[in-house]
Amino acid sequence: MINCTINGKKRSFDIDPLTRLRDMLVMNGNFAVRDSDDAEGFCGSDTVLLDGTPVFSNLILAGEVEGCEIRTPDSLGNSMNLTVVQQALVDAGVVQSAYNAPAAALLMTWLFENNPNPTREDVKDALSGIFIRDAGYEHYYLAAELIKEKLAGGEYKTEIAPEFRPHLKAVGKVLPKIDAPQLVSGERAFVEDYVDDDTCYMVVLRSPYASAYVNKIDTSKAEAIPGVVKIITAYNCPDATYMSAGQGNPEPSPHDRKLINKKVRHVGDRVAAIVAETLEDAIKARDLIEVEYEPLDAVFTVEEAMAEGAPLVHNGRVQYNSGAPDDLDEYNKKLSGDEREGKVVYQFPLHGDILHNVAAANHGFIGDVDKAFAEADAVVEATYQTSQIQHTPLETHICFSKLENGRLIIYASTQVPYHVRRIVSWVTGLSENKIHIIKTRVGGGYGSKQDILVEDLTAYATFATGRPVLYHNTREEEFIANSTRHPMRVHVKMGGKKDGSITGIYLKVDANTGPYGNHALTVPMNSCSKTLPLFKCDNMKYDLTIYYTNIPPAGAYQGYGTPKGTYGLMMAMCELAEKLGVDYKEMVLKNHVEEGYMLEILKGLGEGREGNVVPVGSCGLREAVEKGCEMIEWGKHEESGDPDWKIGKGFAMIMQGSGLPGLDHANAITKLEMDGSIIVTSGAADIGTGLDTIIAKVTSDILCIPMDKITVLSGDTDSGAFDTGSYASSGTFFSGNAAVVAATNLKNKILDEAAYQLGEEMDDMELAWPGEVHSKKTGKVLSYYEIIHTATSGTGRGHLIAPGSFTTAASSVPYGAHFAQVAVNIRTGEVKVQKFYAVQDAGTPINPEAALCQMYGASLKSIGHTLYEDMILDKDGRCVNATMTDYGVPMISEQPDDFKAVLIDVDDAHGPFGAKSISEIACNGAAPAIGNAIHDACGVWMRSWPMTPEKILRELGKIK
Amino acid sequence: MYDIKALYEAESVQHAVQLLQEHPEAQILAGGSDVLVQVREGRRAGVELVSIYMLDELRGVSIDDEENIRIGSLTSFSHITNDPIIQKYINVLGEAVDMVGGPQIRAIGTIGGNTCNGVTSADSASTLMAWEAVMEVTGPEGVRRVPIKDWYIKAKVVDLKPGELQTAILIPKESYDRCFGHYIKYSMRNALDIATTGCSVNVRLSEDKKTFERVRIGYGVAAPIPVRAYTAEEFLNGKEITEENIKKFAETVLEDINPRDSWRAGKALRKHISVVMAERALRESISLAGGVVNG
Repeated sequence: MINCTINGKKRSFDIDPLTRLRDMLVMNGNFAVRDSDDAEGFCGSDTVLLDGTPVFSNLILAGEVEGCEIRTPDSLGNSMNLTVVQQALVDAGVVQSAYNAPAAALLMTWLFENNPNPTREDVKDALSGIFIRDAGYEHYYLAAELIKEKLAGGEYKTEIAPEFRPHLKAVGKVLPKIDAPQLVSGERAFVEDYVDDDTCYMVVLRSPYASAYVNKIDTSKAEAIPGVVKIITAYNCPDATYMSAGQGNPEPSPHDRKLINKKVRHVGDRVAAIVAETLEDAIKARDLIEVEYEPLDAVFTVEEAMAEGAPLVHNGRVQYNSGAPDDLDEYNKKLSGDEREGKVVYQFPLHGDILHNVAAANHGFIGDVDKAFAEADAVVEATYQTSQIQHTPLETHICFSKLENGRLIIYASTQVPYHVRRIVSWVTGLSENKIHIIKTRVGGGYGSKQDILVEDLTAYATFATGRPVLYHNTREEEFIANSTRHPMRVHVKMGGKKDGSITGIYLKVDANTGPYGNHALTVPMNSCSKTLPLFKCDNMKYDLTIYYTNIPPAGAYQGYGTPKGTYGLMMAMCELAEKLGVDYKEMVLKNHVEEGYMLEILKGLGEGREGNVVPVGSCGLREAVEKGCEMIEWGKHEESGDPDWKIGKGFAMIMQGSGLPGLDHANAITKLEMDGSIIVTSGAADIGTGLDTIIAKVTSDILCIPMDKITVLSGDTDSGAFDTGSYASSGTFFSGNAAVVAATNLKNKILDEAAYQLGEEMDDMELAWPGEVHSKKTGKVLSYYEIIHTATSGTGRGHLIAPGSFTTAASSVPYGAHFAQVAVNIRTGEVKVQKFYAVQDAGTPINPEAALCQMYGASLKSIGHTLYEDMILDKDGRCVNATMTDYGVPMISEQPDDFKAVLIDVDDAHGPFGAKSISEIACNGAAPAIGNAIHDACGVWMRSWPMTPEKILRELGKIK
Repeated sequence: MYDIKALYEAESVQHAVQLLQEHPEAQILAGGSDVLVQVREGRRAGVELVSIYMLDELRGVSIDDEENIRIGSLTSFSHITNDPIIQKYINVLGEAVDMVGGPQIRAIGTIGGNTCNGVTSADSASTLMAWEAVMEVTGPEGVRRVPIKDWYIKAKVVDLKPGELQTAILIPKESYDRCFGHYIKYSMRNALDIATTGCSVNVRLSEDKKTFERVRIGYGVAAPIPVRAYTAEEFLNGKEITEENIKKFAETVLEDINPRDSWRAGKALRKHISVVMAERALRESISLAGGVVNG
């Protein structure tokens, strides 16, 4: 018996004293004490107060808390009654994906209870053991100021964020994200909170080899364990060949895998899935499975993959669903055709050549680059290597599925509910009406949840057993069996004139997609399509080749391919400026695009189809460059006062997109409820970024009704209408615009109904705050309540419901520039990012405080990619640093002291209320900004990620 | 739940000794920040644990009758950092353990655990090495003292015999009196990261502050176990505080250290850094001691 006090209540537990304290607390109903690192003691999601001191509850045994007092995050306040601390976190905008926001709230509460007037250093120390990936830490400092002001008995004095569009009441205003109270208080929100009691657990046996045939699996010993329900292997799973990318159908990614393959292609690949009554049984059974592997040679780098006679990652046969080449039969004869290899199916040609490990390729040009280089006064040429990086969402991939009345009900943490449904349908053979995807709140996506990495297997396990099944990735699996940023080799050649004009740009990208081709073409394509259109240049050429290898899989990651292309191009441009004797800023200003410039280069960059050639639309690029240069005092040389520390400055232009014109699609259905309030059902997938809030805000301003009278339901495939999902920066632009269309349609219905009820003309009607229709002619007023009450009274014309659908050929591009000032220690190689300014044109920032937090979060993340993060594989393809401590994400101590996010006010013609995308673009600038700053500081060009002290000292000639 | 065979709760030091004798395979559980992480990783699967967590007599910092600074083995990192005795006499130790990062680890991480795991990268190791700490060990035969130079046997192995537990760490007066030191943790990130190399230097200067009376330097991750750079120390002892001597001292450390290549960092980097750190930590120590560099 263990006796302790939990949140002021005495509790006794009849449990094994070896139980983790966290598990005991979850049993007690304190499920907001979460686990992000399998008890590694890093992320802090499991923080509780033990006798008033913060501890990682995963590292405390239940037996050690006898007589202790424990406080958990859910003790603070509920969503209808937040504490000052919780409310400040909500108001500051930091409660985004929020998997460990309750833990952060507890740490902030602890800080203020012990020190009502903490300094910035005190806040930094209190949060030094919690990992925040989504919003960065800057607005936690802001929240601390807000708490101080509130506790001093007053109102907030500090400005949270600038506001935009004074004529609107919700759009552009600092208003709480609508799901933030639920998230900060630790109420039920995530997949793990909806798991039924009789649920089975699934674990996966993973390959120890980077490449091998699985010739035989003996599961008899494992199946003898009483709790084992089912073991799924390559020898009893469905024959469907598909892929994991959540992209529009038909996907520009080869279908090259089954649920479980007879050939494993990376360390961590699926070999068997074990479903059992308990997690312990499942793990025990996993250890008893006997596998006969036939190890094969593997390739890990693009150099190895392209070498003559290299082992082939896919060596079965190729099939095309459309556009098959005439010589396909001949081609297939050259492949082994071994049944264990499976097949590679292209939905349409992607110029793949699996005989040479090429998954996809693309080539294009405008003008004549050779002539342009010949005419240039100077030409630079260099190769830039990026590393393999993991998203590290706080919530690792998870799925819970169950059967209800012959339908599969799937709780998913996903960015793409409708794509999940389609792929589950492919795997199980069930029609889509038999599959219900419920997207819960998502504890961090960043692109990793645009891939269907766990839902296929979990849903199939339920389909095959009829049992509810829970699957939850370990942190190690998150690294080795998930998706990662494609390592790329970006070769840039750039020529320019003495006046600073760029004559020609050549980009050769060799990308490493790993064992499977999800996002194989499109990620690398973005390294061209979201970079080359920054330049007014008549001569540009690109060659993209994407190679299959045996590294852990690559996929979508915030920024997609853009950070890599931007890194190479902006550093090459800085080098060219130096060679030409031109100031880099002047060169940027001379060559960047502006509104109206026709982007011919896009013709060949259309996700496997012909791209849309469009002119540049709204563009705050020049203003961003000018503003940032002014802030960082461009051109002013800084001295550190210590001869070892050299200071330098750098910046980079950046762009992204706002969804995929001609491919993406979004829908919303807006209803006037019986008391005049509103429910919007959106197909959108809010992954913590505030998309539901955007939908509520545009609805509020169009229908002239307060935010608290609007509820947004989203991400549910049963109730919503189709939406391609949250990726490619499409959320605000596509799902937001669909909500605008639906609200506008409902507005017209309300005006029409009011005119009917008043016996007047619709043209004389207008909406008025807070939810009324006024007659301009007679002055009569009907409230929404009166209108809907009459309409649904039994003699009325019926419920007012309006759908809204949005597709477009228009492209609204966010622009910006990121600036860094670094100090480099030329004796130790250490780099400190002293200043980092993210200056961005996001059109109308609908949620300005959330927008700033996303800029901070993405900037800090990409500072991490630039300086620290790197998955290191040994010679056998095993990741040696697949833990949070070893992998190396930036935390509060790595955040620049002077960190600013600035929104440039630009109105866009196509976005909802002029909005463009905001978050993804903020991943693109750090590497070249920091790289150029390091050069400015100490003269070396850092041409590979991460820019470690070791590499810097090597470039400086200090070590060999 | 952890893969642990059994947990025995010790009620006193003597009881702990008895439990350790009864269960010779058992591992001691102090704060848990290290042992439980190892269990999680499967490195100590099925282990038996003797928890000494409840032994409050092993917590706290005091000056004992022999004028040693006595740090109970269960004293947490955060306690050490904030303790007035530590701050007065050996502040560098408080700074070193504070670099672990994260209030959650600092609250449960103990100085005993940090030295009994035998890990060369432990944040306290190089400082305790450089301050010639003495480990107090209690076992079936009573209490014995082990100078830290004999404590570390090989990577992850320390001089603890069956039935023994470390009960305190002592810093003799001769070791801390008039000494001033500085620790540098060279790591890729600031918090919750493992040291690439750690370097702790302390000095005792002559009355006129012009000469090194005694210099000591300890390293973590410069060899499989924490080490001193005796050759460099001997070179500098009794010498004048000059630029030349400082530089020579730093270069000489390479004679005593033997870092290796790992995925975290190459040998070349560790050697280069060790020299740079020696110089920086020495300069900082001189300045803390009120010394000035001549010529």
